[in-house]
Amino acid sequence: MSAGGYTGKLLWVDLTAGTTGVRPLDPGYIKDYLGGSGIGAKILVDLLGSEFGRVDPFSAQNPLVFMTGPLTGSGLPATGRLSACSKSPLTGIYGESSVGGSLGAALKYAGLDGIVITGAAARPSYLKINPREALLLPAENLWGLDTYQTCDLLMAEVAEERGLKAAACIGPAGENLVPFASVAVNKGHFLGRTGIGAVMGAKKLKGLVVSGRTAPPSADEAAVSLLKKSITAGMKENIVLQSLHVYGTNSALDLALFSGDVPIRNWALGEWNEGIAKINGPSFDAVLTGRKTCFACPVVCKREVEVTEGPFRTGRGPGPEYETVASFGTMCLIDSVEALCKLNETCNRLGMDTITAGATAAFLLEAAENGLLPDTPPGFSFGNAPAVLEMVKEAAYRRGGGSLLAAGSREAARRVGPAAKAFLTTVKGLEAPMHDPRAGHGMGLAYATGYRGACHMSDLTMGIEQGSSLFPGLELPDCYEGQSSLGKAAMVAAAQDLGSILGGAAIFCLLGVTGYSEADIVGALQAVTGEDHTLESLLEQGRRIWYLKRVLNNLCGVSREDDQLPPRLLQPLDTGGAAGSVPDMELMLSEYYVLRDLSPRGLPGVETLRKLGLGFAVPWLYPD
Amino acid sequence: MGVFKDAEQLYQCIAGMMEICSEDQAMGGKIREAELVIRFVYSDPDSQITVDAKNPAPHGYFTVYRGENDLEPEVVMEMKADVAHRFWLGKVNLVSALTRGEMKARGPIPKIMKLLPAIKPAFAIYTRHLQNLGYQDLLA
Repeated sequence: MSAGGYTGKLLWVDLTAGTTGVRPLDPGYIKDYLGGSGIGAKILVDLLGSEFGRVDPFSAQNPLVFMTGPLTGSGLPATGRLSACSKSPLTGIYGESSVGGSLGAALKYAGLDGIVITGAAARPSYLKINPREALLLPAENLWGLDTYQTCDLLMAEVAEERGLKAAACIGPAGENLVPFASVAVNKGHFLGRTGIGAVMGAKKLKGLVVSGRTAPPSADEAAVSLLKKSITAGMKENIVLQSLHVYGTNSALDLALFSGDVPIRNWALGEWNEGIAKINGPSFDAVLTGRKTCFACPVVCKREVEVTEGPFRTGRGPGPEYETVASFGTMCLIDSVEALCKLNETCNRLGMDTITAGATAAFLLEAAENGLLPDTPPGFSFGNAPAVLEMVKEAAYRRGGGSLLAAGSREAARRVGPAAKAFLTTVKGLEAPMHDPRAGHGMGLAYATGYRGACHMSDLTMGIEQGSSLFPGLELPDCYEGQSSLGKAAMVAAAQDLGSILGGAAIFCLLGVTGYSEADIVGALQAVTGEDHTLESLLEQGRRIWYLKRVLNNLCGVSREDDQLPPRLLQPLDTGGAAGSVPDMELMLSEYYVLRDLSPRGLPGVETLRKLGLGFAVPWLYPD
Repeated sequence: MGVFKDAEQLYQCIAGMMEICSEDQAMGGKIREAELVIRFVYSDPDSQITVDAKNPAPHGYFTVYRGENDLEPEVVMEMKADVAHRFWLGKVNLVSALTRGEMKARGPIPKIMKLLPAIKPAFAIYTRHLQNLGYQDLLA
């Protein structure tokens, strides 16, 4: 076991039996997979083996793992995160999501590195965890409540406890098995993507509340303290992080005006300048009431908002992030700050991922416009915020017009009919986030080959390609032209290896990590764990993690046919920053498959698997 | 040698473009609203342009000064003249340039961010301005 960074303990919860118990964290997991979703994915493999491909995401057999990273709770900036891993009910493949706030740090303070949840409860339950015990308690009184109400009640449970406290829970969407249901953490942070909330709902696990008092030890506290000071000082000089502090993640909307990075009207329009000017970063100052941050992070990028009057009145709460503003704003042509705040609050309270919800709404708007949805109300059209809001509300309960949105866009397209497929923006069932691969071709390859589907957070492609992240140790070219496919395969492979560590295992906030140099990252891991990490050793771990998740997806049937962008994302735009630009997917994929040693069927090569210590998967993928 | 043979040519191209922008109602009006004094400090050739949006020019929404002056800028942008030229042609990744130090910005971030949407139309104006000046070679 490392000298620091880990408590060495995992809480195991068997919901079927109604039991909890603490078991040691296997040191081999740390050596090979570091932490976070690296260890989480390995636990899924160890629990299910090749059965992962066949397990129903909603069944009791589907495990759910919450894992911290070695830096979680250390107090270093941008490290207070936690990952959740399971088989996704939205995509049917490996699913994961990560979250900031203070849940990860609270778990560490309670003496735990993570929680492994198996089985399913017979009745609604919640977990109450402190350093002395972990109790599985009835939650009938919480079932049906929204996430804000539930978080308040869970936090009231630990009101008498001292120290660091955090609550996480699902809302009605999770209870009703909406496959893109999210998990709310302290009402302001979300395990959003791939439907972790629906997995909790299927297990009848309404939430968990954690309290702890002991900061996890670091191997070299003095070095950690020095790093904290120098990184914090550097962050204050970093213009990207300063922009984040001032306008939150929505500052990306202004910068995207130049690059063409933001998708508009379900990815079919190149410009919407007059609309964007109404919903960009500064526009939200009109409803701004305060700022919040994740555990020990000096960036303070979370914006609190309140709409005090009108049809879109909200309570005071977390403001919409860039992804939400784009998903409902530019994608659905909703140019009202107030409406976007209301849509954000509605998704948050009901417990739904705003990217999938907004992207599916945009998909349905276009399907309706083309006469494919005869049953939708007449007002359901681009720009009609009340109609979209109503559909979102109904989706959480899978009723009325919301039942189609509740399915997610891939399943909705299947129900609507073949003509609707032209409007889809999914890869492996996951709706693309709000970064246009026509503006950054590398993002196209990253979406096509990402282990959870179209995703901008599981690797570092976006930061490297757009130039906000510098990693000279990767020995990549100094800078990239976004609208070119040349050399992008090597960039994406390296970005995935490093991203599997920084975004998945370590676990850094991928925005905040722009304030770290390579030396800072390695130094932080060394100072906290006492282990002799190097960039090379981290990249090897990251590569192992990436292939492990690829194996899980291969077991679910993923092949080269699935490593593709939908036609809509390859349709050239007439105007805007990415006008006329289309990624050369065939070129990038051909190069990438060679670099990754993937067979024509998309399976990792036998020697590559063995070299990375994943030889156990060879008979699963190559039974003959 | 950089794109511009001397400071005079830089002023003709970049300051000239800014003067055209200052008379554009939509763009000039938005920049005027910021009420900022912004100084662009260039190297190779050494030169500087100051945009005064606090005191409008007689026929514009802001005033453009070529060369050194005594105004106190709230925002200072430093870069090589070549980077500025490529930026106004729309060929510079702003985030990358700032991260790599090719552009250095000092001043209130909120006010700088508010200007970004306003200056976008200037890209097309710069290209037309260079064409009108007969500098086709600078557009390559």
